Amino acid sequence: MILTAVLLAVLGLSLVGWFAARGRARLLYKGRASMHSMPAYHGWHMALWIFVPALLCWVVWSAIMPGLVDGAVMADPVAASLPADEMQRSAILAEAKAIAHDPFAVAFNPQARNLAEPIKAAETRFGFIGALLVLIAALAGGGYGFTRIRAGFPARNRVEQGVMALLLAASLMAILTTFGIVASLVFEAGLFFKDVSPIAFLTGTHWSPASTMGDNINDNFGAVPLFWGTIYIGAIIAMVVAIPLGLMSAIYLTQYASSTVRKWLKPMLEILAGVPTVVYGYFAALTVAPMIRDFAASLGVPNPSTESALAAGLVMGVMIIPFVSSMADDALAAVPRAMSDGSLALGATRSETIKKVLLPAALPGIVAGIMLAVSRAIGETMIVVMAAGAAARLSANPLSSMTTVTYQIVQMLTGDQEFNSPKTLSAFALGLVLFIVTLILNIIALRVVKRFREAYE
Amino acid sequence: MSNHNWNSPEAAKRIAQRHASERRFKLLGLGAIALSLSFLALLLFIMLRNGLGGLDWAFLSGSDSTNASVAGIWGAAKGSLLTMLVTLLLSFPMGVLSAIYLEEFAPRSRWIEWVEVSINNLAAVPSIIFGLLGLAVFINTLHLPRSSPLVGGLTLALMTFPVIVISGRNAIKAVPPSIRDAALAVGASKVQAVFHHVLPLALPGILTGTIIGMARALGETAPLLMIGMRAFIVTPPGGITDPSSVLPMQIFLWSDEIDKAFVQNTSAAIIVLLVFLLLMNGIAIYLRNKFEVRW
Repeated sequence: MILTAVLLAVLGLSLVGWFAARGRARLLYKGRASMHSMPAYHGWHMALWIFVPALLCWVVWSAIMPGLVDGAVMADPVAASLPADEMQRSAILAEAKAIAHDPFAVAFNPQARNLAEPIKAAETRFGFIGALLVLIAALAGGGYGFTRIRAGFPARNRVEQGVMALLLAASLMAILTTFGIVASLVFEAGLFFKDVSPIAFLTGTHWSPASTMGDNINDNFGAVPLFWGTIYIGAIIAMVVAIPLGLMSAIYLTQYASSTVRKWLKPMLEILAGVPTVVYGYFAALTVAPMIRDFAASLGVPNPSTESALAAGLVMGVMIIPFVSSMADDALAAVPRAMSDGSLALGATRSETIKKVLLPAALPGIVAGIMLAVSRAIGETMIVVMAAGAAARLSANPLSSMTTVTYQIVQMLTGDQEFNSPKTLSAFALGLVLFIVTLILNIIALRVVKRFREAYE
Repeated sequence: MSNHNWNSPEAAKRIAQRHASERRFKLLGLGAIALSLSFLALLLFIMLRNGLGGLDWAFLSGSDSTNASVAGIWGAAKGSLLTMLVTLLLSFPMGVLSAIYLEEFAPRSRWIEWVEVSINNLAAVPSIIFGLLGLAVFINTLHLPRSSPLVGGLTLALMTFPVIVISGRNAIKAVPPSIRDAALAVGASKVQAVFHHVLPLALPGILTGTIIGMARALGETAPLLMIGMRAFIVTPPGGITDPSSVLPMQIFLWSDEIDKAFVQNTSAAIIVLLVFLLLMNGIAIYLRNKFEVRW
């Protein structure tokens, strides 16, 4: 708590420093070209010197404080009565911390209540020390900054160097995120593959992670039915819906519609892409799936299930339409006008021009767009969670319920089980596969699009 | 073909056929759009029919409950608000600074190429993967409070960041070089030229992209499912570290209820969410139309 307050105090100090330094710099002003930098830059220079060291100090202290608190609590005489077992001890400590922050929290261990006081004391003590250190850093930085204020001091250049460092740090964020994704997926999946062989995981056809008590754990983690369900729903059913509708929409909008019509229809089509997936999922489960079930029943299918691959795929396809449409739109627009003009001049009708000239010329772009659409469809989660079902089966029947990679990831991670069981870890292995597949699709598609654009430039 | 007679009945028939096929093709295109839009209309109609009856003040101001008739969405809406606040505060400055660096200052180097590849790929990574990242890093490694707007906001910020960078770069790219040259010519430094002249001109475009990215984050469910934001929460969160739910998650939780009375709640919550999203997108379009400068 005190650490949050001190951060605000540092912000306030920076503001004060800004005005103080600018005021002092203004006093130094003795006419044109008497100073290297404008007074406001001296203000910024000062504010940075107050804020940055204090922030660094704050971050470091926040990182090491929990360890210090634990150490102090362990040294307390009350902690001597704790069980030696690491697991039990940390459970009691966690409860005691909850009580220390909220006196009404429930505790299952009586010892936790006794520990709450020492924890509170230690947290206050170390929080206070930390706050003091942060303030010292701010004042020391500010003191140094203040002594720099001279007419000849290049404050602007220094501030600009600081800004550049900030910009660079912000852009490294992207690499850090990518690295974080890869590292966490690979690490957790590695733990999973310690128990289950990767070959069995990638080629096995039996998926029932709940029954991990079987003779051979490898037999329960065959992910092929999940891959099949994902491909069947995302790459086949959804695309059968999305490709013709999206492509024809794009052709109509770019080739036939007047600009007024396009101005109205295009945003309306884009609303489809803006509807949250959970809404689509609900719509699929509430309306589309029962419709399909009734339709199946009328065809004479015995006991049609409410959850079906068709319902999920159909709705997913509709969701992807605007995406395919806008990718096709770009691809068609990239074809030089001279090509279609030439065809029209020879007497071909518009539709003949589109079918025989425009589409073949735009094909690489369209195919790349479809690849991106597939990568989006197979990563889609909420629709399949709400409408596709949990049954891992290898079937080509669109009316049967089917499960996907994303559905299983959700399923594995939302139950109440300990984190390090193979069941939960399998979610990370599935995530890794999903990540790699979408990455490959994206990279190839972006390459194709780039090369395709260059070909016509 | 020199002896081709354009007035022969065969030629006339052929031309008529070609025109008919032209009309069919055009109708097919119109039909595709009509079919897509009618699907949207059906979706909206069903949500409105089921949900409009449930939209009243008690619903808007109440919190989750096991009883459908008293359950409301204020708790989830507040959770969404706090989550979006965290997302915006993190992803907007980071995204804008990153876009400025990549577009204005970055040297051509292998590192920068990596950054660009990363950003383009992150924009296409499935959202559930960000949820796995959030679970592994924020919850299991940093031990931040589970199912809190803080963790939700952090996770969504990582997801929104590339969207803002990409739209920001396009907006900055659209500012003509003459603006920079003019600033540099009267003695501004490179940093001054960018922050005082290019950035204000690019800001409407950046804001439009940011709002669109935020709208997407507001409707996102899957990554939040991973970090445990699916608890049954009766009291609205007081701060960003309290356990909370968010609007799309509330929709998901209610859709799972067996009690038929929750159909009305779910649909009403969907209407509220869609209204928010339409508003945000409307603002984005307004900003774009009002401030966009054609150079």
